[in-house]
Amino acid sequence: MPDNSSSRPSGFDRRAFMAGAAGSALVPMTARAAAQDPRAPAAQDPSAPVDVTLHVNGKDRRLRIDARTTVLDALREHMGLTGSKKGCDHGQCGACTVLIGDRRVVSCLTLALAAEGQEITTIEGLATDDRLHPMQQAFVDNDAFQCGYCTPGQIMSAIACVKEGHAGSEADIREYMSGNICRCAAYPNIVAAVKQAAPEILKG
Amino acid sequence: MTAAAPEPKANMGQPVPRYDAHSKVTGRATYASDMPLANPAYAFLVTSAIAKGRVDGFDLAEARAVRGVIDIVTHENAPKLKESKLFSNGGYAGTTIQPLKSPDIAHDGQIIAVVIAESYEAAREAANRVKVNYTVAAPSATFDSPGTTTAAAKGQNSQFKEDPKVGDFAKAFAAAEIQLTAAYDTPTQHHNPMELFTTSCAWIGDDLVIYEPSQYVHGLKNGVAEQLGIDADKVRVVNPYVGGGFGSRGSMTPRTAIIAGIARRLNRPIKLVATRDQGFTITTYRAETRHEIKLGASRDGKLVALRHEGAEVSSRPDAYCVGGTKTTTRLYACPNVDSLVSIVRADRNTPGFMRSPPEVPYLFALESAMDELAVKLDMDPVELRRINDTTNEPIGGKPYTSRSLMACFDEAAKAFGWSQRSSQPKSMAEGDWLIGYGCAATCYPTQMGPAAARVRLQRDGRTRVEIAGHEIGTGAYTVIAQTAAERLGVPLEKVAVFIGDSDLPPAPVAGGSNSTASTCSAVMMVCDQIRQRLFKAVMPDSLTDKAKETVGISQAPTTQAAKSNRPLDIEKAFDALGVSVVEEYGEWKPEGAPLDSFKAMHSGHVRLVGGHQMQDKIAYAFGAEFVEVRVNRFTHEIRCPRLVGAFAAGRIMNPRTARSQLMGGLIWGMSSALLEATEIDERNARYVNDNLADYLVPVNADVPGVEVILLSEQDDHINPAGAKGLGELANVGTNAAICNALYHATGQRIRKLPVRLENIEV
Repeated sequence: MPDNSSSRPSGFDRRAFMAGAAGSALVPMTARAAAQDPRAPAAQDPSAPVDVTLHVNGKDRRLRIDARTTVLDALREHMGLTGSKKGCDHGQCGACTVLIGDRRVVSCLTLALAAEGQEITTIEGLATDDRLHPMQQAFVDNDAFQCGYCTPGQIMSAIACVKEGHAGSEADIREYMSGNICRCAAYPNIVAAVKQAAPEILKG
Repeated sequence: MTAAAPEPKANMGQPVPRYDAHSKVTGRATYASDMPLANPAYAFLVTSAIAKGRVDGFDLAEARAVRGVIDIVTHENAPKLKESKLFSNGGYAGTTIQPLKSPDIAHDGQIIAVVIAESYEAAREAANRVKVNYTVAAPSATFDSPGTTTAAAKGQNSQFKEDPKVGDFAKAFAAAEIQLTAAYDTPTQHHNPMELFTTSCAWIGDDLVIYEPSQYVHGLKNGVAEQLGIDADKVRVVNPYVGGGFGSRGSMTPRTAIIAGIARRLNRPIKLVATRDQGFTITTYRAETRHEIKLGASRDGKLVALRHEGAEVSSRPDAYCVGGTKTTTRLYACPNVDSLVSIVRADRNTPGFMRSPPEVPYLFALESAMDELAVKLDMDPVELRRINDTTNEPIGGKPYTSRSLMACFDEAAKAFGWSQRSSQPKSMAEGDWLIGYGCAATCYPTQMGPAAARVRLQRDGRTRVEIAGHEIGTGAYTVIAQTAAERLGVPLEKVAVFIGDSDLPPAPVAGGSNSTASTCSAVMMVCDQIRQRLFKAVMPDSLTDKAKETVGISQAPTTQAAKSNRPLDIEKAFDALGVSVVEEYGEWKPEGAPLDSFKAMHSGHVRLVGGHQMQDKIAYAFGAEFVEVRVNRFTHEIRCPRLVGAFAAGRIMNPRTARSQLMGGLIWGMSSALLEATEIDERNARYVNDNLADYLVPVNADVPGVEVILLSEQDDHINPAGAKGLGELANVGTNAAICNALYHATGQRIRKLPVRLENIEV
């Protein structure tokens, strides 16, 4: 099963993670570094809440959360954005897939602190007014879901799959959409949906 | 038309897009754990690390010290709850093992503590810091484990009433020209719906609201009320969308009343999102089964004797079984039939329904054996089914209300290219790949249950349909909306459907594939009540004679007109009535439903009728499934490039949603045959692969080609909607079809599921 992530550089990297984490007491740090950080008081107690600003669907959201909060739980429990779903909390099912930059990411394995300063796009950020994103429309047209629980993750993953250039053939789509489990098994319809939406998305 | 929306044939509705499609692609569909709660506390379960024994004590100091912990609930301080009986014994529960009632442990992964904290993260950390001292006893894990007990199902499970038999099996088998005896095994499986097992409970004064993915909101409401010792009207279960069910959410689990009790004590909403691995032990599963089939036949292929013996694992206290012999003894013409189902008790959580509970394991055995018999007879397996096809089931001689089995075989065989098959095993190959073709019959009983509905029609045509059905991905919203639109003659986009809420008129459990038939029959009936009122308004008594003429019917013109397809001028009728809204409520029950049906419906008890349990007939949906497998002769890798199924299930309400369900079913069947098994550590009676990386389910790359053919079938003897359930039809035959194809590819007969590359010995 391929990973959801592509190997393309995205600006979401270890350095950004460490910078965010250091400011929030997730990793040990020197007293000197702590003293320089305006949020330093939190560093005294690793279980104390920390402040974080997430940039989600074009808007900044300031949160005070447990440092261990994942992007998924930040969205669902602290921002009221429940479109992204929790299906395993282990990065095994893909139901929580969001875009960070252009990259598809399992938000249950991404700490909110590590996503600070990044552009996060969720299923709620796709449709404009009443117009569905081409991938959303293609999922409707091709009945690419049943219970719908994996659907937000499938759609986010599918958009990235197309942009990565992995929607050139049905075999490619199947392979690169295999990080998203659909227990209802709408798979053939998902492939049809990705095929339908791909040209429009690539056209921009 | 796209492939997803097949052109409707005779007796099929329109393939309109799903009612809930827009909500589901925009993330606006609110599943239980998406519901907003005011200032919730978070619960995290602690589950048992042993399968049998007792908790001697807890060390909670470290856990309590975690910032944000509010409470830790164990058997020592848990809210007192009343016991609930098993659903099959007049209760609501899927298990009678009640955690937190005593220090005793009955199975691995039993809930032994609940941590409540201000955040999910704190609750999880504290749960991980709970230290438990156990006294460990040696558990019995499964078949052949020391300490299990075995007894016939009949007499210990009230829903398993008979071991079907007819004629003299022993004599006929002994005298048969061709004899076959074979044993088959199926594994433990877990539903693993995508939505986790969550429960949110909020008290508003003395009223409780529960948000929980449920396939039976009225059952859960009544069950939780019983356990809490409160009036059922004080409890409301809400879940407008359910992220997959597959049977896992049909009966009440212990977690709900526990969370409700804690929420009441703390006077605060509580949200539980159980982890994926906890879902393996705090709910139900498909138990492992064993079978022995004996078939006796004449040289021309006619069955003369059939015996099916099955054994199933259950828990120590609960005699759950699926007993699929009710189907396998009735599928083919055979004058001498015998059967026996036994239950083996082990130290396990109680199993329960999983998609096509009886048919998946039992038809795997029978349809594999039929293929083996065809080989013995040197006969095409399709022809063997044709020779033994029947219009009447052999046990009671009752006629099938309709049976398109051979039509399905013929259609699917044609689409698949069955005629291209060379009959000898190992005779087809391409490069390194051995190719096998296989087929099997599939079937599922047609079931219905009592259901109530409320329908409101406004003079502008806007319609509101209320029925506590469940949207588990089946298309319930869509087919209910279509039914109302059709009966009332209003545009589909004017119909609003409200389901998944126990404050609505009760509908049956979304199980046994009864939902479409039951809910649509009820909605049709109530729509006809509205039509009758409107017709009455435009056909007052003084005009009866004229009305008679217009309607062309001599008696009760309004009733007849309401039940006919006669169009209705709604505006005119509302003018005559002098009101702006008409609302009707009605309760529908299937023919042959027990006397207490409506009472049971309101108290959350299931009363399904159908299948072989109908008065003077038997109702099943049928299908035929053909598969191509490829086995690499060097690596033994197994691929399944093609699945073709043809199905006939009475009226197809919506070919789009029907096709999707059947397609998903075929893939489920493939998954069951080649991937899925819950591995059990037999020393400790624990599930090993309790996560989605190790419990294998198909991903997109596993599923190249699936073709679903919907046959036109009309059946006027089942229910007003004319629909047979099909949600559990497609994943039944696939198991055998794949093993039959593997035999054709390799010459090796595999009688134990799932088949993996290590099982191939080419």
